[in-house]
Amino acid sequence: MITADDVGGVHVKYLYHCPRQLWLYARGFRPEHLNDAVQLGTAVHELSYSRFSPVDLGAATLDHLDNQLWVHEIKHSAKRREADHAQARHYCHQLVRIGVDVQGAVLHYRNPRKTERFPYTDDEHQKATEDIDRVLDIVAHAESPPRLGRTSCRGCSYLDYCWSQ
Amino acid sequence: MPATSRTYWLTTPCRLRRQDDSIRVERDGHPPTFLPIEDVRDIIAAAEVDLNTSMMSLLNKHRIQIHILGYYGDYAGSFLPAETAVSGTVALNQMRLASDDEHALPIARALIDNAAFNIRWVIDRKLLTRSYGVLKESIAEATTREQLMAAEGNFRRSAWEVLDTRLPDWLQLDGRSRRPPRNAGNAVISYINGILYARILSALRLTPLHTGIAFLHATMQRHRHSLALDLAEVFKPLFAERILIRLANRRQLKPQHFDINTNQAMLSESGRKLIVQTVRDDLAETVKHRTLGRNVSYDELIYLDALALTRTCLEGSTYTPFRVWW
Repeated sequence: MITADDVGGVHVKYLYHCPRQLWLYARGFRPEHLNDAVQLGTAVHELSYSRFSPVDLGAATLDHLDNQLWVHEIKHSAKRREADHAQARHYCHQLVRIGVDVQGAVLHYRNPRKTERFPYTDDEHQKATEDIDRVLDIVAHAESPPRLGRTSCRGCSYLDYCWSQ
Repeated sequence: MPATSRTYWLTTPCRLRRQDDSIRVERDGHPPTFLPIEDVRDIIAAAEVDLNTSMMSLLNKHRIQIHILGYYGDYAGSFLPAETAVSGTVALNQMRLASDDEHALPIARALIDNAAFNIRWVIDRKLLTRSYGVLKESIAEATTREQLMAAEGNFRRSAWEVLDTRLPDWLQLDGRSRRPPRNAGNAVISYINGILYARILSALRLTPLHTGIAFLHATMQRHRHSLALDLAEVFKPLFAERILIRLANRRQLKPQHFDINTNQAMLSESGRKLIVQTVRDDLAETVKHRTLGRNVSYDELIYLDALALTRTCLEGSTYTPFRVWW
């Protein structure tokens, strides 16, 4: 299975969204390119925020790192989600691990054109470390976690897989 | 499956070229037409088609498959984009399940049972009641794949006999024959089965399943995607037999749709067009899904069945192959 180094932003995001999704994703089953919303998101991503340059961290790719060492992440939904914050926090954690002294994360909500800043504190560091342990814990299970309630699955790319029977 | 993209069917000889990020279709005597690449999920070439390398790389980049049907309407091959939906876990589990009869036989049994159920639904519930009972008994007793296949063969034979009673003389099968089909009825069934095989392959390629590892058909028997043959069992009646009966009842099939020689028959160009259009329209037919709670097309049913099999390989859930419920 995966090690702490392999945990990427998507793992952390899925951890907050749905453990089952994380479990499936970690096993290489990734139907997201078939999802209309994901396709639209990718297309929008390619067209907006052209001044940003992505940074490849191996297990993860973050949208932009500015000169003041803030991590920037673009979000297409207007809704603030804990998962998004956790994902950005994870990127900060990864950068700190390789010796970059990051300030924190900035989430850009594209639709209302709002940003939110999360300075990277000791508390955040603590949470990011816990997230990684939780990801590894869920992925290591032999049995798949149960589905969420039907309504929480709306828009998920795994919906057809989980609910078709 | 993305609702925004669709399958394109080529029924007249043409040349496909790449122009920027679009497909340019050139046909004799027509101005070129353009297909935006985002709109294409896969292409089925039922007529002669010219392709070049830049076309192939465009198709590969957008994960588009192209399936080619040969001169006789048989499945001639596919261009499949580089494997992207790989999951080692799924492939390993699939291999484990398929190579162990304890796990493979229940899946094979369910495939045959549900295929027979679907055949009976399409052809005649009453006249096939007895044969279906016999089949159920023999598959319960069967301990090898060969015995299962034999039981299925027996059921199919009686099903085709009953099918003949519902067809006009000139379309009767008179026993199933392939490569080449001996008469008109067989030509129709072979042709639809060929198309269906390509569709199923398309659906399977969207999942991490290995198309070469099958549960019912012997994995190494032919150089084909055996898993597609497995899934085809349950879907064939929904398309092949059903369309043949319908077209015969509506007197839509005419002798001029066939080129018939002494010992073989094939669809003529107009016949192929008719069949391709009918199959295409049928694939778009929708039905309300019971657990997803939305309308799904027949085409999507194939993909959902492939997903169900993925679930079996990934999580060990019981696999219930497609069974008509409406």
